This record gives sequence, C-alpha cells and structure tokens, in this order.
Amino acid sequence: MEGIAERIDSFLVPLVVTPGDAIRFTLVEWLGFFVLFTGFAFAGWAWFYFRFILRNLLRNWLRTSLTAMATMVLVLVVTLVWTILLFLSNATSEKAKDLKAIITEKWQIPSQMPFSYEADLSEGAPSKNGDFRVDTTKDSMTWQFYGGTVDPAKRTRENIVFFFCMDPNKLMTVNDPTIDSLMASIPIPATYPYRKEETGEMVEIKSLNLTDAQKKDLEKVKNAVQKGQITSMMDGLDEMAPEELVAMRKAILLTLGDKRKVVVGRERLLALNKRIGETFKLTSLNYKDIDLEFEVAGVFPDGRYNQSAVMHRDYLNDAMDDYNRRNPGKRHPLSDKSLNLVWIRVPDTASFQKVEGQIAISPKFQSPAVKCETASSGVASFLDAYRDLLWGLRWILVPFILLTMSLIISVAISISVRERRKEMAILKVLGFAPGQILIVVLGEAVIVGILSGFLGSFSTYYLINEVIGGVKFPIAFFPAFMIPFEALWWGPTIGAITALSGSIFPSYNACRIKVSEVFARIS
Amino acid sequence: MFPTEIILYCLMGFTLFMAVFAWLAKVPIKYNLRNLLVRWQVTLMMVLAFVLQVGVLIFMFAFVNGMYKLTEGSGVPGNVIVLSDGATDEVFSNLGFADTSDVELHPTVLQSENPDDPGPLASWEVYILVNQPIPSERINGILLGGDFEGDSMKIAHVSWGGVLASGNLQVGDVLQKFNGFTPANHESLQKLLAGKMSGIAPLDFNRNGSPHQTFCDLGKLAQVGSTRRFLQVRGIDNPTRSLAVHNLPLRSGGKVFSQAGVQTIKGPNGIATSAWEVILGEGIARTLASDQKKTTLEAGDTFTVADRIWVVVGVMKSSGSTFDSEIWAKRTLVGPLFGKNSYSTVVLRTKDADSAEITAAELTKSFKKSAIQATPEKEYYARLNTTNQQFLYSILFVAFVVLIGGSLGMMNAMFAAISQRLKDIGVLRIIGFAPWQILFSFLLEALLLSLIGGLLGCAAGFLADGWSASSIVSGGAGGGKSVVLKMTVDGQILVFGMLFSLTVGLIGGLVPAISAMFIKPLDALR
Amino acid sequence: MEPIVEVTHLGKNFRRGLEEIHVLSNLSLQVPQGEFLALMGPSGSGKTTLLNLIAGLDSPTQGSIRVGKELISAMGESRLAKWRTRHVGFVFQFYHLLPVLTAYENVELPLLLLPLTYSERKKQVLTALDLVGLSDRLSHRPGQLSGGQQQRVGIARAIVTDPTLIVADEPTGDLDSKSAEEILELLVILKGALNKTILMVTHDPRAANRAERCLHLEKGQLVNETYQNFNVHTQAVSH
Repeated sequence: MEGIAERIDSFLVPLVVTPGDAIRFTLVEWLGFFVLFTGFAFAGWAWFYFRFILRNLLRNWLRTSLTAMATMVLVLVVTLVWTILLFLSNATSEKAKDLKAIITEKWQIPSQMPFSYEADLSEGAPSKNGDFRVDTTKDSMTWQFYGGTVDPAKRTRENIVFFFCMDPNKLMTVNDPTIDSLMASIPIPATYPYRKEETGEMVEIKSLNLTDAQKKDLEKVKNAVQKGQITSMMDGLDEMAPEELVAMRKAILLTLGDKRKVVVGRERLLALNKRIGETFKLTSLNYKDIDLEFEVAGVFPDGRYNQSAVMHRDYLNDAMDDYNRRNPGKRHPLSDKSLNLVWIRVPDTASFQKVEGQIAISPKFQSPAVKCETASSGVASFLDAYRDLLWGLRWILVPFILLTMSLIISVAISISVRERRKEMAILKVLGFAPGQILIVVLGEAVIVGILSGFLGSFSTYYLINEVIGGVKFPIAFFPAFMIPFEALWWGPTIGAITALSGSIFPSYNACRIKVSEVFARIS
Repeated sequence: MFPTEIILYCLMGFTLFMAVFAWLAKVPIKYNLRNLLVRWQVTLMMVLAFVLQVGVLIFMFAFVNGMYKLTEGSGVPGNVIVLSDGATDEVFSNLGFADTSDVELHPTVLQSENPDDPGPLASWEVYILVNQPIPSERINGILLGGDFEGDSMKIAHVSWGGVLASGNLQVGDVLQKFNGFTPANHESLQKLLAGKMSGIAPLDFNRNGSPHQTFCDLGKLAQVGSTRRFLQVRGIDNPTRSLAVHNLPLRSGGKVFSQAGVQTIKGPNGIATSAWEVILGEGIARTLASDQKKTTLEAGDTFTVADRIWVVVGVMKSSGSTFDSEIWAKRTLVGPLFGKNSYSTVVLRTKDADSAEITAAELTKSFKKSAIQATPEKEYYARLNTTNQQFLYSILFVAFVVLIGGSLGMMNAMFAAISQRLKDIGVLRIIGFAPWQILFSFLLEALLLSLIGGLLGCAAGFLADGWSASSIVSGGAGGGKSVVLKMTVDGQILVFGMLFSLTVGLIGGLVPAISAMFIKPLDALR
Repeated sequence: MEPIVEVTHLGKNFRRGLEEIHVLSNLSLQVPQGEFLALMGPSGSGKTTLLNLIAGLDSPTQGSIRVGKELISAMGESRLAKWRTRHVGFVFQFYHLLPVLTAYENVELPLLLLPLTYSERKKQVLTALDLVGLSDRLSHRPGQLSGGQQQRVGIARAIVTDPTLIVADEPTGDLDSKSAEEILELLVILKGALNKTILMVTHDPRAANRAERCLHLEKGQLVNETYQNFNVHTQAVSH
C-alpha cells in the first residue's frame, strides 16, 4: 500500500504549484478545471437524483452487492488481460529518445557471438571520424549467461541458478565521483536491509540511525537519479529507495573488488536456502566443466529482480581462458560463443540508425554476422509467435467478458424495474417526466458500475501487485506483469460503460411504463 | 488435456441429480419452464450471458487443445530420439558424428525397405532456429540503410527478407546519380537497382505505400521492416530416409531435395541464380506464403531467409505434428551457414512403442562412445507441454473467475424469481410440498436455464473448431517451437463447457433456492 | 358419534418484540363429521389463527388438536405437511392459483404428492373440475378466468385429494355478491354431496348464514354459538 500512496503523491505533485514557478496551465489542465466546475454545478442538481438512486440501491442491497461483486470479478479478468496487452504494446512501441538497441548474432537463436566482438560492439563499431560512438562507461553492457546447479544429482528448479554475467557497474553506474564518495560515507551496509552481527548472524535492520547530514546526503542520492548522475542499463532504477541505491552500490563495489562475489534476488536466494555472506558452488549446466564458486555479496531490492542473479563477467571469461590454458589443443566448445547480447543506449532515432549502419558495414563482424535492432523490435520478434493468442485475448476474451458484464447488469436492472413498476407509475402520476425516470434507472446502473468497477480494479491492483507479485502469464521471457497504476481508472470506466449499455434497454422500458396499465393490473 | 473420465462422471452425476431432483421435487417441470418463458427478457439475457461465457471458454480451450493435440500427435510410436546427454531440447543438443554413428547399428533399428535407399532407418538431423525478417505490409521491396553523400548513397545494409536482399547488391556498394528520393525519380532508382541485381524480381516500390516515403525515411523503414519471425530449420543428410523415419509423405507433385541440395532457378527477369532446395511443412508453407499474398507455397515457389533464395521442392503432409512448422534442407548447407557443424539429433525407427522404449533405455545406459540420452520420440514430444499446461492453468483461472461472476449474476436472477413467486411458494407449502421440494424446484429451474445456455454456448463455441492459429510449444527450460496449430473442439471440451455452465447454474441457483426453503408459507401469502 | 375435529384447551401466543400476545386462550371446540362450520369475529379475534391451527399450518402453544384419529398438535412440521396433503383441502380468499399453470394443472398439483398413476390423477382432476362445473375450462390459465371461476378452481384443488377437512379462509372475500353467492352454493352442495366437513372463516354474515353452525370469536375466546336451520339444496347448479 505504501507504493500506492507514493504514487498518488507523485500524481498530485504537478497540481501543487510552487511560488517560484510561473503559473502556466496546459490545455489538459484547463479542461480538467472545466470538468471539475461543471461537475460541481451538476452535482448540486444531481444531488436529489443521487439520494433517490442511492436509496433504491440500498433497499435491495442483496441484488446491488451481487451485481457489484459480479462486476468486480469480471473487471479483474479484464484488468489482467489489459495489463498484459498494455505492457506488451509499450514494450514493442518505438521510443524516439533514449532508446535501447540490442545487438545479437544475425540469424541464429540463441544468439552466440565471440567475446572478441565485445569491445567494438559496445562502442557501436565506429570506424571513422563523425561516426557515432557509444559511451561505454554508462551506455552499453554485455550479457552472458551462466547457469548451474548446486546439486548436480538433483536438478530441480530450486537448485538451479542462472547468472547474468555482466560488468556489475552497469547495474548501476555512478557518473559523478562526488556521489560515489557521498554514498560511501553513508553507513548503510551492502547487505541492507540486513546487517551482519559479530556472531555472523544476519539481522534485519529496523532503523538506520542516520545523522541529519547523512539524511541530507541520502536525499542527494535520490536526486542523483533524476539528474542523471546515477544511471543504469537496467530498468527500475527510479523505483529504488535511496537506502537501496546506497546498498546496491556497495554490493557492486564488492563484486568489482572480488569477482567471486555476486548479487542475487531475494526469492532466488530463499529458494537456494543461502544467506548473504555464504558461499556456494555451482556445477555448470551450459558451460560444461566450468564450475565456479560464489559468495553472496548483496541482494536486489524487492521487486522485479527477485528471481535474478548477477555475476562479474570477468569471472566466467577468466575461467574460460584458464580452461583453454589447462587443456592445450582442446578449446572449450563455447570459447567463441560466450557473448550472447550487447545492449547499447543511444539518445535518439538518428543515432540508432547511424549505429545500425556502422555495425552493418563493419568488416569485423562477418562470421558470425550480427544485427542491431531496437529493444522494442526485438521484443516484437519474440511476440510474433504469440500474435494469434494476443489477438484472441484482445478481440475475443475481453469483448466477451465485457458483454457478459453488461448482460449481468442488465438482468439486475431489468429485475429491479419490473419490481418497481408501481413506483415508477406513481412517480409518473406525481409529475415525473419519462426522461427523469430514465435518469434514475440509468443512474442506478452507472453508480453501481463505477463503484464496483473501481473496487474491482483497486482490489486487483492490490491483490496482484502487493500479494501475488504480478500476473504470471507465460509469454515470451517476461516473468510477471505488474498492474499499472492507470489500471485504477480502467475499472470505473469499464463499469460505467457496461452499466450504461446494459441499462439502456431496461431503463427505456421503465420510462415507457403506462400508468393506466399498472394501476389496472393492481386493482 | 483434462482427465476425461472425471469430467464425464461429473456431467453424468449432474444429469442424474437433475433427473432425481425433478422426480423428487414433484413440482412439474413445466411450472419452471413456463416461468422462464413468462420472464423471457431476463431468461434471454441470462442465456445470452451463458452463451458468451461458455463460448469464450470453449474458444480458449480449443486453442490449448490444439497445442496438446500437436504435442501428442508428434512423433512416431516406434521412434527413438537421441540427444547429447544433459540436453533438454534439441536446440541445445550436440552430437558428433564420429562418436555417435554407431547408434544406428543397434540391432533393434529397422532397415529401410525402399530398394533405392537401403540402410538403417535412422534420420541424422541438425536443428536450427533462424530468424527471418517479416516482410511488412508497408514496404514490399527493399530496406536500405547507409550514408548519404551528395547524390550517392553508400549501402550500409541490405537486410530485407523480401525479394531484393539476395541479389548482387552488396553492402558497401555505392549507388550513384541519385538526386534525392522523390516520387518523380523513383523509376530511375528502380532501374538502377534492377541493373545491380541479377535473377531478382524487379523491385516493386509502388505496391504499398508511397515510394517517396520508402526512400526518404530510411530510419522508419529500419524499424518497420525489422520484425522477425523464428523459423525452424532442420538440416537433413538423406531426405528420403528421414521422411520414412518420421512417417511423413510428401504432397503430390513434390519431391525430395537433390544430393547437392542446390538448384539453379530462373529469376523473373531471366537471369539464372542458385537457390537452396527445401521441403516445407504444410503450416510453414502457409505462413511463408502469406508474405507473398498466396495461400500456400508449392513446389517451385521461392522465399528468402538469411540473404539467400530458397526454392521449395516438396511439401510434407505434416499437419497435426510439430514438423508442420519446419523447413527441411540439406544439412551440409544449412549447418555451416548457421555455424552448427555437429548433429543435434538422430532419430531411429524400431518395430513398435515397446521396442522403442527398450532401445532408448539400452542406448542411454550402454552406449559408451559418447554421452547420449535416448528417449522414445512420443515421450520427447509429450514433454514439450509445459507451455500448454501454463496456458491451460491460465484459462482455468479465467474460467474460475468467470464462473464466480456468472454465478453471482445467476443468483440475482433466481433471487428475483423467488421474490416474484413468494405466493406460489406459500401455496405449494400449504398444499403439502416440503421445503426441500421447493429447493429442488428452484434449483432445477436454475439448472434448466444453465443447461439451455450451456448447450447454445457449446454450439457457439463449436465455431472455433478448425481455425488455424500460431503459438509456441515448449518443454519449459528454454527452446520452444513456433507451431501452427489447429484449434480443436472435441467431446471433452464440450463436456467441460456443459459442466461449467451447470456449475454456474448450481452455485447460482443453490443459494437462492436454499433461501426459498426458509420462506414461511403463511408469511408468504400475507 | 365421535367429532371429526376436537380442540381442547387450545392456546396460541405470538411474540412481537418483547411483548407476548395471547391470540387464543383455553379454547375448546368440537366439530362433528360433515358439519359446515363458520368462524366469525372481528379482525384480530384469532379466527384465522384457529383455522390455521386446525389445518395444521401452525402449532399451538397449549392444548391439543385432534383431527380424525390423529393428534396433529403433536406432529412435526414435515409430518404435518404430509398430513395436510391427504387430509386438508384449502380454499383461499385470493384463490392463490399458480399463474403459469392451467386450471387442470393447478388442481392436479396436490395429487402429485400422492402415490397415484397418471390416469388415476387424471380421473380425479376431471371429477373435481366437473363437480365445480369447470369441465370446459381445463386448459385455461388463471389469468383467463373470472374471479368466481378461479375460486371454483381453488375449490376443485381443495377437494381433489378427497380430504377429511376443507378449510376456507374468507372464500368470498374477494368476489362480487353474485359470484360469492355461487361459491357458497357450491360449498353447500359439495358438503351435502360428499359429506365433507367444512371450516370457513368469514366476516360476511351472509356467508356465515349458509353454514350450519356459526362460532363467534372475540379476543381469542368463543363468545357465541349459533345454529342455523338450514335445508340442503340438492339440485345441481347448472352453468
């Protein structure tokens, strides 16, 4: 829930205008004000209806709550599906600024390139003056994968770890040395949120006991992300608390100092039944005969990297070299295939095209050839196999569920109109116009729709994100989909629209009720 | 996909219950039916809701069922597949021929009965996943990237999977005399490029989109044209033998690829060019054909992968198996091209399923020259169902949620029915009907409603049968095959659909019906 | 002759909130076989409660009720329900026919609870409907019948099981005087022809006049008892 509160804060921040800023409103904001004011004006007029409607809803609370619950659970399904679709469409839509490019072997899957490509590819293969040169200190990274099991006899999921081998600096790059020394001065251990006692036991840190100056430093660390003094090739840096940033940096420094040290996600660590500071040995699954020993230096902050593990790429590469030295004449079969991906970050589309061209014409990458594509088009390629499935989710499942919702609301409203024919007739006798009766009936449906829709998406948001930890739908390589914050308005919108469409027919019936008929039937 | 017996028993149980309810309740069924008709609007909406819910569930199940059918249908009962030890998927398997060649000499391996192709029934294969840029709707010709210097362009890359890419136009070529890219001069560019390439269809800039855009906005093109699909290429030494091992006949008019695996074809502009011969599965033949606006590729058609022209010589009757999505070509050509010089698998044919099992066990245990792992082929493919299972669970989850939603809607309708018929209940009770008979009567009404809805929903869901769709099947740990599956609605899915709707009827009807039990007859009549 | 209904020291209390309301107290009553008895009294006098108790729709707080040979005040709810099916026929003020069922099906309803074959049921339903003079309205729904006709269907439903007792709660209360007269006539004829015991609650003195005996209740007590000299009309009513 904390997460939500913070996000609401950040959502509200733009509304609070600090004195220093010139007061400028965008069109959207003006529109917002307009809607707000008309809303208030409308509310006064609507209050009468609202009370009337509310009383009707509460009178048959059983029906109201059944309808609301049905709407809620169906909103759950729609929210889950839309979360997946939205995430995928975001992941595959091209960015114009700060885009990530992925360099892989040209034709084959899985991509395997010689590590000797690393230096040139990381720079974007510039060959002459005027070529675009990628800043390798912060805007590129390499990926190698090393997987192994702690127990070669038992290769269960719990026993297997897959390491991303990279330059640990790329997890979190500190571009400003003052920030680095600032971080070093803040007494947060690399093992945060745990502390190692003298007995060797790990204890959860309850409070940090920082001085005011240190708290100010922590604030600076937080700002450093916004200012670009701290960057990362990975996503999710902006989700991290400053304490976590400091701890992460310290863990990274540890791995840089001793390549045996690794950073592991907390769920993976739990599955392995290891703790920070402990060591374990892996029998490799993909690098045959290259078995390595590791020491856990830190954990990833809670979140998307809970299942991940990161090791220093030098550890693997040195081990490979060592293997080839020890076995003269018998090179390791993966010697020239150990580089899997290179990521680079470029500021805009034009630079991407330049780099793409540079890599394409470079004579250095012939066997195997390589390709450079934007991250989004790389993702899109993987998703191509799922296009029919996604089409089905988008155009069959969701519409069908929405229609079902609409029908369920329609049934409820039809029933309540049928039961209240006499009342409606009395209202007509009292001088209510058909339009007013229409508003009462539609209003009933829409209020139920909006409220239950909101409850539905809010509980989905809470349940999926905070309790379950994301929608675990096995598509491509995405481990879990988190419900986005904007999903909170999906529910009310879905609720309002389905309720409105579902209640058109019954409310039309209601306002067409003939007084004479109703009373004739009663007498 | 589901444990068939269990759901069948459940359905039978339901039917039995309904019959017993009807018999015990004594309230005539026509009473319920007529009441359903009297409030026909609500009934109609409920039935429609059932049709939608059951229909969409059947649709989704048909998809997963198609995946299951595919993994179950792949493989021949008598076949044994040999992979290198530790490989979970053939993508990760490496077999050296020198170390492994003896496996085909195992005594249980059958001999080919084809007099033209004698030898053990063993298929030596290398399996490669290759990506192919998908020709997009907007550009249908060329994707060039490069530096513009004055009125010439140095070609930085020609990475288009369409017609041009395999021509003589090379990276590094300079296109001269090229005064900007405008619609007016695109014809001259066309000529210029056509002259550069031999054996290639003339570029068709006009077909989709404006040529102006095609040539000015290279950056955009790079993105639009760069969606890829993953092709499964199987390099084969002896296609006749491999087809026999896998029991895959060719469609009439097709033949296997030649010893060389290459032929010279005549390009549309009359210049000869060499092309690699391939045999396609029916599914991939349709997929590749869609790029060329055809329904399927046939012998003689060409397509482009990895900057090369490939010519179809035959199409396998492969539907219902994962081979449906494969491209078979000469191993000695495709292996080196994609950097895979070893074999990934050998498939051996034995007499029957039992002997396959025995052979697999023996080979795994006692083959000493290299570490191999032999599995009956059926078992290997059956293991590729992790994705199927995950999809199935996801759908079951959706079904569960929809079940709750549907039940709540049903409760609404039934509570209303009961409150409308309080007097009827009062009379029935006074006449001497017992509370449980009232319960059964209303429960039966809910079940009737759900029965009608379920039947119609099944009928609607049946429309999903036979659609083709693409998906991925995999055994979990990496790998995975893109497949073209046929959505299949069969008995067990329909039974499941009925079971679903009856369960909605049961849950949605039970709670209100129980409440009807407690109605006091004298109060009801007051 | 032994009375068919014997009520002894009957008391019935209702609870409304904390208050205990004595609806009936220490009421004793005997009804001989074949009597047409009317219960009269102001509203709240307990006449309907008494009727419900005798018909086995409710159980008394004190005292006992015997109908025929059975002590119904000692029966549980489900036994009472079974007993009602066989021994009591109900006629209601608002007829209370099931609107979706035809006249025939409405009359058949109580027979469904008895172990009868289809043809036996059919015979009995047709006889009952014939007795009330509605043989030509078998497949009409209640909505298609007049109030008087609906009440005849109600009566047919009450007699179809050949019950020991027919109880009627204001059977003419919702009818115009002509139809009311016809219904009362019908009850009298049936009583005579079938020798049924009829208990009728009414506050219409004209209806009470058709009964052989009339009991007046006030505040849960019997206050008055009138016998009427009454000649049974034996000729059939034709329609």
